[in-house]
Amino acid sequence: MQSFVLACVAAIVVAAIAGFALNSVQKPVDEAYSTTAVRL
Amino acid sequence: MAGFLAQARFIIGALAVALVLAIAAPASAQQPTSVNPTAASVKEQQLLNALGSGGSVSGRVTIPDQKSGNLIHPAGRDWRQFHEVTLRWIGAIAILGMLILLVVFYLVRGQVKLESGYSGRRIVRFNAFERFVHWMTATCFIILALTGLNITFGKPLLLPLIGEPAFANWAQWAKYAHNYLSFPFAIGVFCIFLIWIAGNIPNRVDVEWTKRGGGIVGHDHPPAYRFNAGQKMIYWIVVIGGTAVAVTGYLLMFPFYVTDIAGMQLAQTVHAIIAVLFVAVMLAHIYIGTIGMEGAFEAMGEGTVDVNWAREHHPLWLAQENARTGPNESQRQPMATPAE
Repeated sequence: MQSFVLACVAAIVVAAIAGFALNSVQKPVDEAYSTTAVRL
Repeated sequence: MAGFLAQARFIIGALAVALVLAIAAPASAQQPTSVNPTAASVKEQQLLNALGSGGSVSGRVTIPDQKSGNLIHPAGRDWRQFHEVTLRWIGAIAILGMLILLVVFYLVRGQVKLESGYSGRRIVRFNAFERFVHWMTATCFIILALTGLNITFGKPLLLPLIGEPAFANWAQWAKYAHNYLSFPFAIGVFCIFLIWIAGNIPNRVDVEWTKRGGGIVGHDHPPAYRFNAGQKMIYWIVVIGGTAVAVTGYLLMFPFYVTDIAGMQLAQTVHAIIAVLFVAVMLAHIYIGTIGMEGAFEAMGEGTVDVNWAREHHPLWLAQENARTGPNESQRQPMATPAE
């Protein structure tokens, strides 16, 4: 049970880190695929 | 003299016409692969011809993404046909087929019982780190499977049940979970590859185990080391299949970083087919690890198995463990010394 709980916590932590990392390097789609003259 | 000049003008004129035709001929022989729909002289028939010959209809756009100028690309219709129709059939047949197979097997064969009963003596099967890696990979896989199946089956199955607003919210969070949990899953697959590779190299014992059907039918108990041939098959499916879905998944997560639209369509096709087959295989793994075999879940649940279980299903491994640490060291009472 302890291994299972630790595994779930680790998965959430790694996923959260991955989420922050991806959000810092990738632009949202409304920025990436438009200019300042375009409103989406 | 005048006649000569007239003849010379005729010859020069004929040569000029021939030169123009020679230059123009290769260009007119080429079939256009792309038609500019905004050109002043474009005709509807040209657009239809372009679609029919596998070309595309492209225009000009002023936003940074020039790919969005591609108005119609007929190859996309094949891909749409795949993920809207073919993939659903493959997924439904694989997953429902496996579920039906397992139910029928359980009804016919029943649970594989521990024939010699519990001895009360336990032996460590998986240590805490192995169980940690297994459960991290397994929990991620379950969420990845559910959120991935939502992409394929959510619209026809879930959307009519919960409505558009709820489905939109669920699908958005499912997409986030699918993307972000891929990282611990990929780490888990890599750790699984490293920690269990030594025990999963096929050998001659596996041939005998396979010939005897793993003893799954009847009361046979073919010998096996730590992992039998069936478990080795699961291991390699996880390692190879997990790597394949991870690589193709990251190609989709980073669109156009590595490949073009055709490469991404191929990546999605490979990703989806492997994923639904992966789910089907894991259903069988979950079955045999839980209700399918008495005493099996304890191995990954608490880390130990009964010595009689080890003797029936993995006698060669038990002999190795006894030879390595001695029977009294490797076998112990679970209550006195819990695995965790």
